[in-house]
Amino acid sequence: MNKIFGLALGILAAIGGFVDIGDLVFNTAAGATFGYQLMWVIPIGVVGIIVYSEMCGRVAAVSGKAVFDAVRERVGFKAGLGALVSSEVVNLMTLAAELGGVAIALQLLCGLPYRWLIVLAVIGFAVVIWITSFNWLERIFGYGGLCMLVFAVAAVKLAPDWTKVGNGFIPHISQNNPWLYLYFVVGLLGAAMTPYEVYFYSSGGVEEEWKPSDLGLNRANAIVGYALGGTLSIALMIVGGVFFLAHGINPEHLGTIALGAQQPLGEIGLLLAIVGILFAVGGASIDTVFSGAYNLAQFCGWEWGRYRHPSGAPRFTITWLVLLVLGMGIVLTGVDPVVLTEYAVIFSVVALPLTYVPILLVANDRSYMGQYRNGRLANILGALYLLIIMVVALTAVPLMIITNAGQN
Amino acid sequence: MPSLDLGLGILDRQLLDSEGRRCGNVDDLAIEGGPGETPHVVAILVGPGYWPQRAGWIGRLAGWIGGGKRVRVPWEDVAEVSSHVKLRKRAAELGLGTGDDRLRPLLEKIPGADR
Repeated sequence: MNKIFGLALGILAAIGGFVDIGDLVFNTAAGATFGYQLMWVIPIGVVGIIVYSEMCGRVAAVSGKAVFDAVRERVGFKAGLGALVSSEVVNLMTLAAELGGVAIALQLLCGLPYRWLIVLAVIGFAVVIWITSFNWLERIFGYGGLCMLVFAVAAVKLAPDWTKVGNGFIPHISQNNPWLYLYFVVGLLGAAMTPYEVYFYSSGGVEEEWKPSDLGLNRANAIVGYALGGTLSIALMIVGGVFFLAHGINPEHLGTIALGAQQPLGEIGLLLAIVGILFAVGGASIDTVFSGAYNLAQFCGWEWGRYRHPSGAPRFTITWLVLLVLGMGIVLTGVDPVVLTEYAVIFSVVALPLTYVPILLVANDRSYMGQYRNGRLANILGALYLLIIMVVALTAVPLMIITNAGQN
Repeated sequence: MPSLDLGLGILDRQLLDSEGRRCGNVDDLAIEGGPGETPHVVAILVGPGYWPQRAGWIGRLAGWIGGGKRVRVPWEDVAEVSSHVKLRKRAAELGLGTGDDRLRPLLEKIPGADR
């Protein structure tokens, strides 16, 4: 019973934790631009993140290795260093965007100046991470993020044409502005398969000392958590399609996205949406800052761990502190968090193969995975997604240039 | 004797000391043996100081940023090579993990660091 309860809690936290600023921006903008025509991309992205999360959770449980351990071991020092540098750059951009999102949500709630709120948020995060145990952090932000479910209620209340929504799940290409359409395909996939989630997930598995007996739990967590999280993405796209497209609004500001819940649900909808966004991007800020610290620590072989007290892993602690400060510095320049998000998602797509190839290799390695190495299904899906990732990685930057980062 | 692929089986693996502490990666290997002799691994080389020989100028840059430290762990001190490389001694005895050891007292000055 306790185990089921624990799983339910974990899943609740995962739903709240799935959506980050990348999903918010790309799903709503895709809906506001193309209505429901890009629905089909969401399940593809969700299955992709499930496949690779399950794989690296399994690697963590069987070999005790987190992703960046595996990266360096399998692709060697030089390519590993390249993967490290690119992942740290993307992570830092994502972190800065999430911090900006936190400050925007706080500003909508309390009206203090944006820059002050950035600094306050970063100090707040540093203190909270320093003094609370990670279990609590995860729950607070996961449950707070559940307020995002208001978008699911809003999507239903907005009474979309469900046949059209359903048709959106059939893959197709838009005749109208196909380059922009493809840019959104790439962005939606990138937002769903953000690499920091994989780093974070696998490192957590190693820290929680998963054993092969936890593999069922790993699978359930990955499938149910991400699938339910994916429904939130669908809800955001519906809200974009019904509300923003119809009103000709381009949700260029994070606050605008919250308006999508105000229209059908009133002030309480708006409030829940802002609080939900606050906790969702706040939780994602913590995940990204830890992911950056994990990757560096694992590449260098330092002690690491989010469940350890700060002095138990000194260089890891210093790394996340420094990353928080750097992230703060980037948003303090006044760069628009939504624009930063788009760049972060597109560049993360370029770096995806560097993370996913080693995971696939390690998950197939008989010498440390033994009987738990990839089965046929995991390998077929893994190879298929690797192909998708490669295509997407190669086309991401050209599409960004052609479409002027989605501005045309 | 089971065979071990040095490139895949030991290079770049995580080092654990006798108490299970993470204390670096296998950054390189010292191998001895002249022509006609069987080559032997004599030591594990650890630290950013060995990065230049792994990756050219990028390695030099990364090693310089990393402080360029070099530690040689004699092969006799290796207890086990599995998914991690386990050592027979404590990290401090081998000169490993000094970066963490030096920073720890600083962090401990901040309240709550050892909650």
